[in-house]
Amino acid sequence: MPGVSSDSARGALVPLSPESPAAAVYPLRHGLKSPISRLSISWSRGNSLRVSVFAAPSSDGSVNDGDGGKVVEVKLGGGDGEISEAHWRRIAYGSVSPFALLQSRKNAVFSLSKFSMNSSPYDGDWWDYIMEYSKDINALLVNQKSASVPVLDDPKSVITKGEEPTSLKAAWELLEMFYAEKPSHSWLPERLVDWLADYDSLFSGTHPTVHSKLVDFQKELVNLQVVEDDPKYWEVMSSALAVGWLNIVVKMLRLHGSYRLDQLSNRETENGLVEAVAVLISKMPRMRLEHEAGKLGECYKAKPDFAWEKWRGQINKLDSSAFWFQCAHQQTREGLRSMLQIMLGNANSLCSATYNWIELYISHFLYMRPLTVGLESMYSLAQKSIQLKPMASAHRLMGLIIGILGENTEVVLAECLKGFGPWMVAHAIELLTAGSDHAEMLLHEERQNLGGISIEELHRLVYAQVLSSFPLTWQIAPIYLISCMKHGMVLLQRLLSKQPVQDNQLLLKSIEICRLYELHSVTSNIMKIAGVHHWKHGRKGSGVFWLQQARDEYRLNRIALQLFDSVGKTISDESFKQWEGLIQLLGSDSKTAGGLEFLHKYRDFKKSLRQIHDGKATDSARQAVESLISLMKNPSTPQRFWLPLLYDSLKLLNWKERPLLNVSQTNLLLNKLQELSMARLRPDFIESELPPQALNSVRLALGTNLGRAILEE
Amino acid sequence: MAFAESQNPLRVHRIPQSRYIDAVRWLSPVSPSDRFAAIAYFDADTNSPSIEIAYVDPNPQSSSPTLTPQSSWTSPSRISSLKTAHSTPQPLLAAATFSGSLHILASDLINGGVMESEATVSELGFHSGPVSAVDLREGGTECVSVGEDGRVNLVSFVGDSSKLSYRRIFDANGLVGYTAVKWASPSEFATGGYGFGIQWWDQRTSGGPVLQFKGNWCQGKTSGIVHSIDIHPSRKHTCLAGGSSGTVFAWDRRAAQQPIVLSGAGTGEAPNSLLSESEVWEVQYDRYTRRSNISNISSTRILPVMICSEDGILAVIEQGKQFLKHNYYELDRTIAKVETYIKRSHC
Repeated sequence: MPGVSSDSARGALVPLSPESPAAAVYPLRHGLKSPISRLSISWSRGNSLRVSVFAAPSSDGSVNDGDGGKVVEVKLGGGDGEISEAHWRRIAYGSVSPFALLQSRKNAVFSLSKFSMNSSPYDGDWWDYIMEYSKDINALLVNQKSASVPVLDDPKSVITKGEEPTSLKAAWELLEMFYAEKPSHSWLPERLVDWLADYDSLFSGTHPTVHSKLVDFQKELVNLQVVEDDPKYWEVMSSALAVGWLNIVVKMLRLHGSYRLDQLSNRETENGLVEAVAVLISKMPRMRLEHEAGKLGECYKAKPDFAWEKWRGQINKLDSSAFWFQCAHQQTREGLRSMLQIMLGNANSLCSATYNWIELYISHFLYMRPLTVGLESMYSLAQKSIQLKPMASAHRLMGLIIGILGENTEVVLAECLKGFGPWMVAHAIELLTAGSDHAEMLLHEERQNLGGISIEELHRLVYAQVLSSFPLTWQIAPIYLISCMKHGMVLLQRLLSKQPVQDNQLLLKSIEICRLYELHSVTSNIMKIAGVHHWKHGRKGSGVFWLQQARDEYRLNRIALQLFDSVGKTISDESFKQWEGLIQLLGSDSKTAGGLEFLHKYRDFKKSLRQIHDGKATDSARQAVESLISLMKNPSTPQRFWLPLLYDSLKLLNWKERPLLNVSQTNLLLNKLQELSMARLRPDFIESELPPQALNSVRLALGTNLGRAILEE
Repeated sequence: MAFAESQNPLRVHRIPQSRYIDAVRWLSPVSPSDRFAAIAYFDADTNSPSIEIAYVDPNPQSSSPTLTPQSSWTSPSRISSLKTAHSTPQPLLAAATFSGSLHILASDLINGGVMESEATVSELGFHSGPVSAVDLREGGTECVSVGEDGRVNLVSFVGDSSKLSYRRIFDANGLVGYTAVKWASPSEFATGGYGFGIQWWDQRTSGGPVLQFKGNWCQGKTSGIVHSIDIHPSRKHTCLAGGSSGTVFAWDRRAAQQPIVLSGAGTGEAPNSLLSESEVWEVQYDRYTRRSNISNISSTRILPVMICSEDGILAVIEQGKQFLKHNYYELDRTIAKVETYIKRSHC
């Protein structure tokens, strides 16, 4: 996260501006009565801080209600004021698939261009892909709470309220028009006009704007009887005309009193002039790609020099017409003529009709340098506009515009990060590098001061880091991490390894992500952690399952020792049902069961023993003997079970009808018994909980059996 | 794929929510046009879990259905399992939590969906750790709860007593953990757990499961966890289960210890039969697309099954047929879960 790495200015990955905003104060409500002796602060989820407050122990040693301590979470920052956290998450989730699609197409294009050397990778469909990406992202930024559109067209409503604009969408559209629509730069000025029409209101918060003046006037309009007497009417119309909102201007002109039927006869000339201006405005030649329905102006796809000259000629003619002397209404005369001055590109008129440099800038495109093509000299014009309309504080969008016009990729990136955060940078880089070799070199070059990664990778990592720190978004971080060639995989492994294992669903999600990216070693690590966690919390079955899945023989053998302790105590006939499930889970495959394989055979042995008790005699007894022998032969059978096993088998050894064990079997058991007697002398021997005479009775039974077996053979 | 087969073309609506959805269930409709759903939310921003009754408006002015919250109940902990009993117009909800408590809620759909907590079991020792699954007996007054702690509890509730009494049917002391449960009859139910094991229980028989379907049957291949069980009322001999690695299988209690694998693990020979490699969170018999001809299907065949999985696949599986599959490429499984249920209302 930017800011976290700011401990040393030199090693900082993301440069932080030294002029930090005023310190924010977050009150802590811990409710402790005693004085606080210690504070501990750590990061919690997302951008929350976890503050642990410890109270000083009361001096007399008594325990009161407010003693002890409290843990409180403090949420830092309010995020983006325009966009709620839920909307941010929707944007984050929504941008995953356009991003992933573009990456895979990029890879495809590059691998293709390797084969055919002479074709540039950016041919053909490339711009379509970029544009599709940009449009997909743009669609996500639409504000959720859109205002309702009135069904009836109110003649007195000069501005219609559409969806609430956001700076984020405005910024993305700027990037889109300058970088993704590069082949269509001829229409750029008109695109900017449209852009301002959509987003001028965003500047109203900090600066006066044409939009805010219009809104103010709209409020007054309801109470105005004679609009043309109000100087604001003319002021606002000139301003709207200056930034090219022709529809609004024409609509407002038609509110002029001379249109009213009762006055039409007295003010015929006046009305003629108003209408002439309205017609001229609606005939303004504009260079646009397509004509939007209802939008005024004559559209031309190529530079309409002739049409423009003709239109200007008509304005000049009207301006010098004699009718003005016949217009009795002074405000109308002056207002209309100042509008004509705007259309004629009078620098002073434009300057006084606009309220900030962007509006002035746009008006220059419309009337001073009409039909400008391309980016040339756009930057110097912007500088000039800023000089004419300097501003104390710059809106975040303005910084971005200057960066774009200055064709300075680094400034654009910095403004994106500062104004709109890591999401913006990570996704905007795709547009910045789309068609510019220079930007591509700049952003893809591996840098020593960034630890050998490129700026592009850096910003993706930063964004992934932000995603990872929120519990609702961590699962989309892998998609950004794997697009990072150098450090992505390592960080992905760390992210997955750090996910908590307590919650099964989370655990399964981590394992699923590992499967997708073939991170088998991480999978088995996670499973081991989960296995040990469950085991420690008494969920032995779950623990064994995960360790089995991880094929962790080492830990299975370790926990086997612990399990056997409880087996010795609890495998009685009543509790056998509890063990049954676990033993089934273990299966018979010794590889995945580790030292627990013993349990499986032990179960079989116990089962046959029980059947003898049920009265199904000899066959079961034979089976039991086989199980016993195989258990005693198996090296995985722990020594401490030998005696209990043999003691359990007393009935088999003393089988009435005939000896069940032959000589060699009996000898094997006798040897084991001998070994056991020797082992008892060792200090680490664990005595089983059997009656003290157990060893002797087993020895006696074995001896008797040996004698009977010898006789029988 | 085979969309043309179904009479109603499949339409999927996405209703994005800003909170986690831990569980979602339909409530039985009051009238054919009025649809309600119970949704267990978790708000990660404020750390608050809740259950909401929402009115699902399938055909508003806009093109997609909307959810209108009717009432809400704040849960003490995140919901780990949510089940409903279909009694109208006051359906019962059983909600189990990660902190090991169980809550019986009643909602009155006619009076604005008001939800009231009828009773709660939260005492120490009910479950140790989270309750992993519950099931409400249809129309009954009993609820069975299981956990990874190996406890199987039977909770009985009668009307207005706010304190529930529960009976421990079995305690495996953590040696076996249970992750799914489903009633089969008023006295019998089935549980599922690790290693794709299934246990069959009869509450009249104490001391453990009556019958076990051996766990770990896909020896050697990746094993997994049963997440969901369904039992068809007309075919109680068969337990349908879904779980890890896209596995959907059935266990016919009359047959030997051999699973009938519909998808996933243990089906190496047929590449077609792998529907998903992801966790199958829910399995249900498809009671909606072919309501009429169940009797025509031989009793050894498995009825059509509807599943939804972690990787956002909603599918209908028929034994021996191609899948009717719909893939959302959706990362958030909770959304897929909602859609499982939303889709049903259209069928």
